[in-house]
Amino acid sequence: MRVLTRKLWREIFNSAGVLATVVVIIMVGTSSFICVKSAQRILETSQEAYYRDYRFADFWVNVKKAPLSAVKRVADLPGVAAVESRVVFDVILDLPHVVEPITGRLISAPTRGFDETINGISLVRGSGFSDDRNEEVILGEGFAQEHDLHPGDRINLILNRKRESFIIAGTALSPEYVYMVRGEGDFTPDAEHFGILYVKEAYARKALDFDGACNEIVGRLVPGAQADVDLLLDRIDRMLQPFGVLSTTPRSRQASHRFLSDEIRGLGITATVMPTIFLAVAALVLNILMTRLAERQRTTMGTLKALGYSNRQVITHFLGFGVVVGIVGGLTGIGLGISMSYGLISLYADFFKFPQFLFTTYADLWIVGMIISVVFSVAGTIKGTLAVLRLTPAEAMRPKPPARGGAVFLEKYPALWRSMGFRSHIALRSLLRNPTRTLSGILSTALAGSIILSTLMMYDSMWYLVDFQFEHVLRSDATIGMRDERSRLALYETQRLPGVDYAEPTLGVVCDIRNGRNARRLAVLALEENHRLTNPCQRDLSPIAIPPQGLVLASKLANILDADVGDRLELTPVRGRRRTVQVPVASIVEGFLGLDCYADLTYLSRMVGEAAAVNSVQLSVNPVRADALFRTVKTLPNAQGFSVRANTKGNIESTFIETMGISLGMMVIFAGVIAFGSMINLSLIEITDRQRDIATFRVLGYHPSQVAAIFFRQNMIVFTLGLILSFPLGYGMVVGMAQAYDTELFRMPVVVNLPVIVWTGLLAFGFVLLAQWVVYRQIAKLDWLEAVQAKE
Amino acid sequence: MADSTTTVPQAVLRIERVSRIFRMGEVEVPALVEVDMTIEAGEFIAILGPSGSGKSTLLNMIGGTDRPTSGSVWHEGHDLAVADDGELTEYRREKVGFIFQFYNLVPSLTAYENVQVATELVDDPLDPKDALEMVELSDRASHFPAQLSGGEQQRVAIARALAKRPELLLADEPTGALDLTTSRSVLGILQRLNREQNLTIILITHNAAIPAIAHRVVRIVSGRIAESRINEHVLPAEEVSW
Ligand SMILES: Nc1ncnc2c1ncn2[C@@H]1O[C@H](COP(=O)(O)OP(=O)(O)OP(=O)(O)O)[C@@H](O)[C@H]1O
Ligand SMILES: [Mg+2]
Repeated sequence: MRVLTRKLWREIFNSAGVLATVVVIIMVGTSSFICVKSAQRILETSQEAYYRDYRFADFWVNVKKAPLSAVKRVADLPGVAAVESRVVFDVILDLPHVVEPITGRLISAPTRGFDETINGISLVRGSGFSDDRNEEVILGEGFAQEHDLHPGDRINLILNRKRESFIIAGTALSPEYVYMVRGEGDFTPDAEHFGILYVKEAYARKALDFDGACNEIVGRLVPGAQADVDLLLDRIDRMLQPFGVLSTTPRSRQASHRFLSDEIRGLGITATVMPTIFLAVAALVLNILMTRLAERQRTTMGTLKALGYSNRQVITHFLGFGVVVGIVGGLTGIGLGISMSYGLISLYADFFKFPQFLFTTYADLWIVGMIISVVFSVAGTIKGTLAVLRLTPAEAMRPKPPARGGAVFLEKYPALWRSMGFRSHIALRSLLRNPTRTLSGILSTALAGSIILSTLMMYDSMWYLVDFQFEHVLRSDATIGMRDERSRLALYETQRLPGVDYAEPTLGVVCDIRNGRNARRLAVLALEENHRLTNPCQRDLSPIAIPPQGLVLASKLANILDADVGDRLELTPVRGRRRTVQVPVASIVEGFLGLDCYADLTYLSRMVGEAAAVNSVQLSVNPVRADALFRTVKTLPNAQGFSVRANTKGNIESTFIETMGISLGMMVIFAGVIAFGSMINLSLIEITDRQRDIATFRVLGYHPSQVAAIFFRQNMIVFTLGLILSFPLGYGMVVGMAQAYDTELFRMPVVVNLPVIVWTGLLAFGFVLLAQWVVYRQIAKLDWLEAVQAKE
Repeated sequence: MADSTTTVPQAVLRIERVSRIFRMGEVEVPALVEVDMTIEAGEFIAILGPSGSGKSTLLNMIGGTDRPTSGSVWHEGHDLAVADDGELTEYRREKVGFIFQFYNLVPSLTAYENVQVATELVDDPLDPKDALEMVELSDRASHFPAQLSGGEQQRVAIARALAKRPELLLADEPTGALDLTTSRSVLGILQRLNREQNLTIILITHNAAIPAIAHRVVRIVSGRIAESRINEHVLPAEEVSW
C-alpha cells in the first residue's frame, strides 16, 4: 500500500485549502466538546472534593433561638450523622472607604479547628484566630479582595446596638458560599456588597445573647439517608417548633449549591448540543467534499479496480482522507479545547470560589473527542466512495454521464425566467442541479445563523430580565432590613432619615404553601396598600396591585403548585402557632428570579396573628443626599441589612452579563467558522467543478470580479434561504435553552427584538462576504488558459 | 463465423454465447450479441470494428471488468460470468494487464509510482525500473503524467500493465490518441513482448491498418463477430502506416 499512501498524502497536500475548511469546522466541533465537557468535569470534581474535604452540610435549620440541649436531640435522630450549632447574624458593616453601608453575615466558628467543622472554613490568608483577643474576624476571601482588606487590618461593625472594631485574623473560603449569594432571590454573586465574617463562637454567643443557645443548626446525614431528608426535616421542624423554626433547607435547596449544580447540569447539556450541531455541519460539508473527490477520482478508482485492487483496498485508501481530516481536526480540536477549558474555568473562577480547581487530564474525553471527530469525518467520506465502488470497473472508467443538463423547473415559467438575466440563470441552474450541495449550504448557513441569533437573543434576554426585575418590579432605591419585626413605628423613624423621600414597609414571612400534593416553603412578601416601590408585573410589564385578600404568585410558583387564579391554597406561617388558613390565588405575575409570592401587609399580618408589622423598609432616596443617608444607616442599631438597587443591578450588568458576553462572543466566532467554512468549501468545490465555465468567461474578456459576481449571486441565494430558515431555528433553540435552564432560581425570558434580527443578518452576511473574498481570490488565481486547453 | 473450439488444449480463455445488454431506462442497447471466441496462449489478436460496435465491451468481458448479461467466459475451468467480486478481482490482479485508451494514469503519482501501483499488488512483479526500461522511459521515471507527452504516458501505461507479468495483455485503442511515429513505437513494444515473451495480447482498434501486425483479426460489427481470420503475413510494427 505504500504507493497509495504516497498518493493519499500528496493529494491531501494538494487540496490542503479545501480540506482545511473542513478540518477547522471539525476542530471547532471537537474543541467545543472538549472545552465544555472538561469545564463541567473540573467544576464537578472540584465541587465533590470541596464538599467532601470540608464536610458540606446536608441540611440547615434556622430558628429564632434554640437551646443546645435541643440541638443534641436533633443529633440523636436516626439518619443524622452529625450536627453543629451556630449563631448566624446579618449585620451592617461600616467600611471607611465605602460610603454605603454593606451587609455582612456573621457566622460563629470555633477558635480552633474551624477547618474541621461541618461547612469547614479553609484559610486563604492570615493565621486564623489567636488567643489574644475576642474581637477577631476571619473574612470571606472574595469580600476581602474586593475591598482590599488584609489580615491585620481593622473592620467596624454594629453588633447588638454597639459599634465594634474587629481585627482581621485571616481570609477564608467555605463550601457554603462557593457562589456568594445571600439567598435564593439573589442571582449573581456580589462579593462587593455582601461579605461573610467568621467570629469566635464564644464571643458571638456572649455578644449576641446566645449563651447555651444557637439560631442555626447544620447537619450531615449518614450515607443513604439523603432520600429521606425531607421527612427528617419535617421531623426536626416539629421537634424544634417551640423555638421558632424560620426555615429548614436541604442541601438540594441551598442557594450556592443550587446555582453551582444548575450550572454543571447546564454545561452538560451544552456539551452535548453544541458540538453535535458543529460536527453535524462538518459531516455534511465533508460528505459533499468527499463525494466530489470520489467523483473526480472515478476513473482512478475504476483503474485501480481494473488493475486488481479489491474493493476493500480502494475503500481503505479513500477513507484515508476522512481519517486524516478527522485526526488532524481531532488533535487540533483537543488542543484548542483544552486551552479553552482553562479560559472558561478562569471565567467561572470569578463566580464560583473554590480553594482550588482540580485540573486533570481527561484522557477519556480526548479519546472520545478523537473518536467523535474521526467517526464524523469518516462518515462524511463513506457515501461518495461507496457510490463509485458500486459501479463495475468498466463503468467507473467511462467518462461520467454528463451532469443532468436540460431545463430546471423554473424555466417552465418563461415570463419569470426571462426576467432574470443570464447571470441568475447560471446561478439558479447550478443550484437546482446540485440539490444536495445547495441544501447543505442552506442548512449550514441556517445553523450558523441560528447559533448567532440564539446567542444574541439570550444576551438580550439577560438585559430584559435585569430591566424587568430592577426597573419595573423593584423600584426602590435602597432597602433596609430590620433586625426584628417592628411595628409601623419603625416606618416613621425611617421616613425621617436624611435623604429619604418616601418609605414603604414590607413584611417577609416564611410560610408553607400547599395546593393538594404540591407544597413549597418560601418567604411571602407583604406589601402595603398603594405600594409604589415594589410593583409585581405581568409579562407585558403592566403592574398588578396587591388585592386586600389573597396571594399573588409568580407564574413559576403557580406552575409548581399547579395553582390557578381563584384556587384556594393552604397557607401556614412557619412561626408562632402555625395556624393553617385557606387563601385564594388573586392573580399571577411574571418573575424570573426565585419564587415570588406577594400579599397585602395587613392581610398577612392578621394571618400571622399580629398587628401590622414590618421587617424591612424600602426607600426612595434623594440622590443628592444619599451619602447622608448611608452615613446614618451605618449607625442604625436595628438595621440588619442594607442593599442599594443600583448596586445589585450594576453588579449583574458589569460582572455577569459582561462575562456572558465573552462566551457569547466565542459562540458567534464558532458560528462564523461554520458559515464561513462551509460557504468557502462549497464555493471551492463549485469552482473546481466549473473551471471550464470560468475559463470561458475569462477568455471572453470577463474580469475575475465579474465571474466572482456570478458565484456571489449563487451564494447569496443560499445565504438568504439559510438566513430565513435560521430565524425559526434560532428561536426554537432559545425556547429549548429557556426550558433547559428553567429552574426555581432562574428563568430566561424569551424576547425577540428587531436589532437582534438585524445583527444576526449582518454578522452572518459579514462571514459570507469573507467567504466571497476567498472565492474571488481563487478565481483570479485560476490558470484559465490551462483550464480551457485541458481535456476532460 | 465462430472459432472451432474442439481441440485447443492451451486456450487461455473461451467465450461462449456472450451477450451484454445495457439498459438505460426504457432503452436497451445490445452491445454484444451471442459472441463466441477462443483465445489461445501466445496469440496476438486484433479486434477491429467501428465506433460503438462493442469492442471495449468485449474487452471488459475478457478482462473481468464487467459481466455478461448472458453466456459464459471460461478461464481455467471457472466461469467468470458467475464469479463473485473477489474472484474477479483476483483474476484481474493475477492474470490480466490493462492498457487503456486514455492511459488512466494516476495524476498525482510519478511514472515510476504509477508502475508501482501495479507491482505492489502481485507477488512476483518486474522491478518498476525494468518495466520502464522495457518501454524506454527510464529517464522519465520521476516525472508526473502532466509532464509527459501522450505517447510517453501510454508507454508508462504499458509498463504498468507489463510489470505485473500478466498472462493476458489487453490494450484498448492504445494508439488512439497518438501520431503515426509514436504509434509505431508503442505497437512495436507490444509486438516485441508477444514475440519475445510469448505474451498473449488482445488489441482493440478501429484503425484498419493496425491489425496487420497481429496473428489474427476479429472484426466486430454491431456487437457480433463478422469475421475472424488468420493473418498470413504479419507486418512488423515499424512498417504500419496510415
Ligand atoms: N455503461 C454503458 N451504459 C450504456 N451503454 C453502454 C455502456 N457501455 C457501452 N455502451 C453502449 O454499448 C455499445 C458498445 O460500446 P463499446 O464501448 O463497447 O463500443 P466500442 O466499440 O468500444 O466503441 P469505440 O470505438 O467508440 O470505443 C455502444 O452503443 C455504447 O453506447
Ligand atoms: Mg471503446
